[in-house]
Amino acid sequence: MKKVLAFLLTTVMVVSLAACGGSKASQSTSDEGNQEATTQDATTQEAGNTLTVWCWDPAFNIYAMQEAEKVYQKDHPDFKLNVVETPWADIQTKLTTAATSGDLSSLPDILLMQDNAFQKYVLSYPEAIADITSSGIDFKQFGEAKTAYSVVDGKNYGVPFDNGAVISCLRTDVLEQAGYTVEDFTDVTWTKYIEMGKDILAKTGKPLLSAQAGECDLIMIMLQSAGASLFDENGNPTIVNNDVLLKVMDVYKELVTSGVLIEVNDWDEYIGTLNSETVAGTINGCWILGSIQSAADQSGKWGITNMPSLEGVTGATNYSNNGGSSWLVTANGKNTQLATDFLNRTFAGSVPFYETILPSSGALATYLPAGESDVYAQPQEFFGGKAIYSQITEYAGKVPSNNTGVYYYEARDAVKAALVNIVAGADATTELKNAEDTVKFQMGQ
Amino acid sequence: MNQSKKKMKLDRRHNLVGWAFLTPAVILIVIMSFIPMVKALLLSFQTGIGNKLKWAGTLNYVRMFQDTVFMQALKNNFVYLIIQVPIMLVFALVLASMLNNKNLRFKGLFRTAIFLPCATSLVSYAIIFRSLFAVDGFINMILIKLGILETGYNFLVNPTSARIVVILALIWRWTGYNMVFYLSGLQNIEYSVYEAAKIDGASVFQSFWRITVPLLKPTILLTAIMSTNGTLQLFDESVNLTKGGPANATLTMSHYIYNTSFKYVPNFGYSAAMSYLILILVAVLAFIQLKVGDKRD
Repeated sequence: MKKVLAFLLTTVMVVSLAACGGSKASQSTSDEGNQEATTQDATTQEAGNTLTVWCWDPAFNIYAMQEAEKVYQKDHPDFKLNVVETPWADIQTKLTTAATSGDLSSLPDILLMQDNAFQKYVLSYPEAIADITSSGIDFKQFGEAKTAYSVVDGKNYGVPFDNGAVISCLRTDVLEQAGYTVEDFTDVTWTKYIEMGKDILAKTGKPLLSAQAGECDLIMIMLQSAGASLFDENGNPTIVNNDVLLKVMDVYKELVTSGVLIEVNDWDEYIGTLNSETVAGTINGCWILGSIQSAADQSGKWGITNMPSLEGVTGATNYSNNGGSSWLVTANGKNTQLATDFLNRTFAGSVPFYETILPSSGALATYLPAGESDVYAQPQEFFGGKAIYSQITEYAGKVPSNNTGVYYYEARDAVKAALVNIVAGADATTELKNAEDTVKFQMGQ
Repeated sequence: MNQSKKKMKLDRRHNLVGWAFLTPAVILIVIMSFIPMVKALLLSFQTGIGNKLKWAGTLNYVRMFQDTVFMQALKNNFVYLIIQVPIMLVFALVLASMLNNKNLRFKGLFRTAIFLPCATSLVSYAIIFRSLFAVDGFINMILIKLGILETGYNFLVNPTSARIVVILALIWRWTGYNMVFYLSGLQNIEYSVYEAAKIDGASVFQSFWRITVPLLKPTILLTAIMSTNGTLQLFDESVNLTKGGPANATLTMSHYIYNTSFKYVPNFGYSAAMSYLILILVAVLAFIQLKVGDKRD
């Protein structure tokens, strides 16, 4: 009897397991999406003047959207914007759910898309994303490298938003102790940077950089600074026999072994090293300025300049890009016209709009005409009275363009694994070969 | 004659009432579990990006055995299974028999304290463990204060120490849960049995090994199967504690399935096939455990 009972229990558990495993795959058929669709339908159908938007940061992109609403309302008094705060991870699962179930009505009219994921979604769910090439938006007014993220097969799918131009941030007071200035770090190579970094470490005990262990933000930044990427123009992986990548791995390893860069475990720890004065600088997308400024007591102690360049690599520059996002218009057919017109008159056509959002959110535009605005040229107390925003806008225009590729996240994870092993002492060529094999395998469906 | 007819009617009525109570639950289970299961099975025989699926036969099932990352994840799951489950179950058993002692004071307090980890959210405990083992975290601070380490050791960067941290976290989280099963099993063992053993001169260890363990065998079997099942489906710890790193050393199968569905270019057919492999593995392991563990008839 007990045996029968035990067997029954096992069966029950096995069945519940299968349900779990199955639900992961077939979430597309769940009712969740439909329920949301009906509630959202109700709001949008009531007024054809309402747009729903998904984005994630109240201090940044949500704020920008709300300001854009005010700008558009001047000409269209009936217009209303319904901004739903949706974390990036949720946007991805919701978009996947809606697209696989074929019921696009649960999608908003506009959503914010990370540039690195843009190609993947356009390729995977083309039916869910509107082609806005001929919507009247002048894409030439945006930085070229930035616009390239949302272009697939010559068609535009996104309106570029925030800037991810890379800056090298430095603690001027620490540099001074060691006898350096920010100018010493301008237009330098990595060799020179590491050399000065060692000196500063010896004199002040502070490393110049910190990074998340096993993450490869810095690797991707260095790659793009030379116009390279993990894929070629045709989307084939170029991880093996990629001289730039090998050089980058060399530089990274040197940074870690010399102690100029310390590795931490997660994002909060990384921000902690900046705010608690553990390190004397950082290199990241210019959106990092927001986190740096959260330590109000460090006002006036920071300076910014361009990043170091790779040595002995063709096409190497002192400029790169990390992160950033673009607005995507969904193809749910409800308000596509209104959505593109709204974007055209705000994010893609209003300098005063960018002048409003810059001072309070630090949202740097990729909209080039805005860069010439006076607001950008105003000196910033926190950064030693320098006009850093026009400086960064200038950097943004010089960033080399590269192809992120559809399989960006696969390649990134594979290189991440290789990076951990290489830093631990494994042979770079073999590790990169393994990484390329992994990516190639994952690309062959 | 008449009486038996009446009885049959009554039986039937009882049956009907029973079914009426069961129906809502059955309908819900069929819609929420069985239909998705069948759909997932069909999906596992298809391949393609996003919505563009086509039939591919057993391609996905062959493919996963050539996938180095998935094989690594499978290996990781078995490392957890082989090392963590036995340690945890022995630990739970010892704790349970200690707490079953009649003369122990504050029993309720101890039981609650040991069961409490089980009531914490999977995500939050994983994040707390991550910060405990950070370079400037609590564990490193203690090790430095005690003079064992000079500077903080980055536990989550080394593959071996990262796995040990995951195993420690799992033991902390699940020992109390299994202990409760043993405690309830122990209530069925007459205390007089222990007293008799004591009079006969059995040591504490002997009465544990000769009385507690054999009499608890069905419960031990149950917890072993449940732990196996849980370990093979491990997800939260891999995602939140170590993010699958360093170099995929702590990545679990469920985490990889999530990646292939939502992080990478979506390949739901392949994900469904991998989910079914977990199902098959659990079924096989449970069957073996039943065969090995239950030798009474």
